[in-house]
Amino acid sequence: MTESNNVKASEVSSASTSTNSRIATADQLHEQQLAQGPLLEVKDLQVDFTSDTGKAIHAVTDSSFSVYPGQWVAIVGESGSGKSTSAMACLGLLPGTGHVVGGSIKLDGEEISGWKPKEFVKIRGSKMGLVPQDPMSNLNPVWRIGTQVKESLVANNMDVSHEKRSKLSKALADTSVQLKDEGDETFIGSKELPQLLEAAEKALVETGCEGAKLEKAMADFRTDWVAGSETRWRVADDLMRYGVKDDDAWYIAKKYVTGSTMEDRIAGLLSEAGLPDAATRARQFPHEFSGGMRQRALIAIGLACRPELLIADEPTSALDVTVQKKILDHLRMLTDSLGTAVLFITHDLGLAAERAQHIVVMYKGRVVESGPSLEVLQHPQHPYTKRLVAAAPSLASQRIVSVKEHGGDASAIMEHKVDTAKLEANDTIIDVEHLTKEFKLPRRKELFKAVDDVSFKLKRGTTLAIVGESGSGKSTVANMCLKLLEPTSGKVLYDGQDIANFKGKSLLDFRRHVQPVFQNPYGSLDPMYSIFRSIEEPLHIHGIGDKKSRAARVRELLDMVELPESVMGRYPNELSGGQRQRIAIARAMALNPDVIVCDEAVSALDVLVQDQVLQLLNDLQAERGLSYLFITHDLAVVRQIADDVVVMQHGKLVEHGTTDQVFNNPQKQYTRDLLDAIPGGKLELGVDLADKK
Amino acid sequence: MGKYLLRRILQMIPVVLGTTLLVYALVFALPGDPVKAMFGDKPVNEAVAAQIRAEYNLDKPFIIQYLLFLKNALTLNFGETFSGQPVISEIARAFPVTIKLALMAFCFEAIFGVVFGAISGLKKGKWYDSVILIVSLLLISVPTFVTGFVGQYVLGVQLRIFPVTAGSNPGFFDLLMPAMVLGSVSMAYIIRLSRSEISTNIPQDYVRTARAKGMSNTSVTFRHILRNSMIPVVTYLGQDLGALMGGAMVTEQIFNIHGVGYLTYQSILKGEANMVVSIVTLLTLVFVVCNLVVDMLYAALDPRIRYA
Repeated sequence: MTESNNVKASEVSSASTSTNSRIATADQLHEQQLAQGPLLEVKDLQVDFTSDTGKAIHAVTDSSFSVYPGQWVAIVGESGSGKSTSAMACLGLLPGTGHVVGGSIKLDGEEISGWKPKEFVKIRGSKMGLVPQDPMSNLNPVWRIGTQVKESLVANNMDVSHEKRSKLSKALADTSVQLKDEGDETFIGSKELPQLLEAAEKALVETGCEGAKLEKAMADFRTDWVAGSETRWRVADDLMRYGVKDDDAWYIAKKYVTGSTMEDRIAGLLSEAGLPDAATRARQFPHEFSGGMRQRALIAIGLACRPELLIADEPTSALDVTVQKKILDHLRMLTDSLGTAVLFITHDLGLAAERAQHIVVMYKGRVVESGPSLEVLQHPQHPYTKRLVAAAPSLASQRIVSVKEHGGDASAIMEHKVDTAKLEANDTIIDVEHLTKEFKLPRRKELFKAVDDVSFKLKRGTTLAIVGESGSGKSTVANMCLKLLEPTSGKVLYDGQDIANFKGKSLLDFRRHVQPVFQNPYGSLDPMYSIFRSIEEPLHIHGIGDKKSRAARVRELLDMVELPESVMGRYPNELSGGQRQRIAIARAMALNPDVIVCDEAVSALDVLVQDQVLQLLNDLQAERGLSYLFITHDLAVVRQIADDVVVMQHGKLVEHGTTDQVFNNPQKQYTRDLLDAIPGGKLELGVDLADKK
Repeated sequence: MGKYLLRRILQMIPVVLGTTLLVYALVFALPGDPVKAMFGDKPVNEAVAAQIRAEYNLDKPFIIQYLLFLKNALTLNFGETFSGQPVISEIARAFPVTIKLALMAFCFEAIFGVVFGAISGLKKGKWYDSVILIVSLLLISVPTFVTGFVGQYVLGVQLRIFPVTAGSNPGFFDLLMPAMVLGSVSMAYIIRLSRSEISTNIPQDYVRTARAKGMSNTSVTFRHILRNSMIPVVTYLGQDLGALMGGAMVTEQIFNIHGVGYLTYQSILKGEANMVVSIVTLLTLVFVVCNLVVDMLYAALDPRIRYA
């Protein structure tokens, strides 16, 4: 395993210096990290689960990695690779029958792998925090958000009126800032806050500060001085920066910053995690929060007791890219200023490379590669890592850009070339005109406009991608194009005919030519139907051929999606997610459609599988001249498949252009935000990656 | 919330009207003439019989009888029994006994049901979990009158721990065994309900999150596992309280407790329409109110549920 001292010091510091100038320099940080030794050291870890029949299932067979204080380490791998299991073993929170059977886990040099549940209670929360994966299921629905934050503070006997600093940040403070006593770390209380602001204004006026400068200073103070989050020395520091004399600044800080209450601290923690209006929000229940807000609450809980290590298990996988970016930026800033180390678990290599200094790649229960992020990305050694680097959509689109910047021919590495000839041809297969859909919301008078005046044309033989965040109305558009929903106004033309007029036989005919593939391959196949029956069903419904010719067609279709004939007799639960999605595609293809509507068809799949399915779709399009309406939230995937892109936000069409136009020259701020949010977007991969394929 | 409550209270009116009409019709349709029955073995004096019929409105058509009953009931005049006692005083005598019995049975099933259910659910697979499961299955499958007679014979006649019957004005100790018999089936259901709820809550993500906060096993168990598991249990208990208030016809017969169930049974035998309908009206009200309380409790326990 590569030692962590390879970490590029410049990377570590880049975020900390930019977000928090009060933290020491990168060299000092690096020095301290090494001096303190690894915070968490996992060696040859083995974890088994016991099956119902008593057999041992090896979930993790060989996992080794270390995390140094203040460092971000990412574990990357596909689902089932043992990355979460390795991390949960460190917390003593293995699910079900899971247990550690070999290897060692050392926290601060102390062996913890053999600990009893009671012993783990002591380190959880206070030394090791957790930010779990799914924000929907990780908050107890019956307790208020604030109460759930409070539980963490109470369980660890936290002093709610003083900040707790990690060893690392204390050590760093020793060298750069003058030593601070306990009192300097006292939090602002919400009761004293108005008086503090008043005193600050007075002091500023006394120093001769006035007009716009005074207003700016006060505005800064109002946003920065959060009760239960900002401490005395920062108040003094802020005052001094605006020209208040040292003694006066400290006098004010000492007089008015006298510690926060439990409620202040809860609100302070929540607002630190980026939750607006935290004091009110703390009194709400989880179901009143959006996914992103819940994730922020979970981050607040994870960091509440200032752990030295935070285990973040896919903390943003369930969220939209732009929200993901905001939350991770915020988490980065927080952990940097607190000196918290983060063990970051993700399936997205691009994300890992962008966020972590060190990457650990896991495959089938083993660590197959580990090293500094850029090193792993630019010179992957293990074949699996090479495949992962090649397949990651975020990196793929980045690759295209970087090749172009270096003056190379990007089309060589693009899986999908924009077909300008077809786009310019006047051969429209689906024409959406001023489509609007309104829904009635319960207990609201005004109608909710899910889709607001959207128009676009899908040209025959091309792919049009509709991109947007959840709630942007993209799936509603798809459902209206499939005639599964009636538009409130506007129309959808298929081959020049208004689909609203299709009834009976003509509707059946339309259904035959326009087929859907849905997001969840687990939900879209009937679990009681064999694979053969699932694929044969559309042929049967449309009365095509006899038994024998239908069976032959099913074989042909399975061959087309590159699955063996032997799967015909099996049932969906016996297949993997990627295989099921292939079945769903085969079923959609059964009737030789002209158009396939893919509603987040690859979002639920692991990168490698996703890559295969996208290639399959590309190949099918080239062979059969299919047209795809491709709905996705992932702009990175768009680059790999689409010719034309429609960007939607809040039901409205924001931008419409060819893929090249949208990626190279985005016109709207929202599109630029989406592009910026693609993880790994800012990585400099260099041209040498072109040969990695 | 206030609007919702008002709507629910207004909904009670058709419910109560419907049940009384139904029960009145059922008693009316019972075979046999209650007036003839009053004469017993003696020959029926037609003149006297006609007079009694007129006095109790029995000579009028069914719908008129019902409307007359309603009119009187609105003025809280429930009429008299055939033996001349005011119906209201008979009910007033029986209800306190039943309330006492019902509350005792309720406490018994709630406490033991939840405790055993929690032990069983938290320690799944242990020997005592199996024992609790088998006993609860036994209690569910054996009818109350068997449990009642076995209890009466073993604890009352053989061991002489509890009195065999309760009598007309029973105290706490007299009602202890009947309450346990009455609550046993529901207790068994609560054990099974709590057990399954707890075992579905244990692997929940938010329980893991709570552990990751560093909370002790005890507080995780109480605040996250048990708290969430109790939502359906409380709902079941609330509805069961309504049912228990209806009087336990079988249990009260076995232990000779002069409660509502006993009174209802006797009145049905005698064809006392007034009495039966009055009791049922009251019970319907009790049941509907209990249901409303359960729904309110449900909203209080689960913040995701809000009525409007």
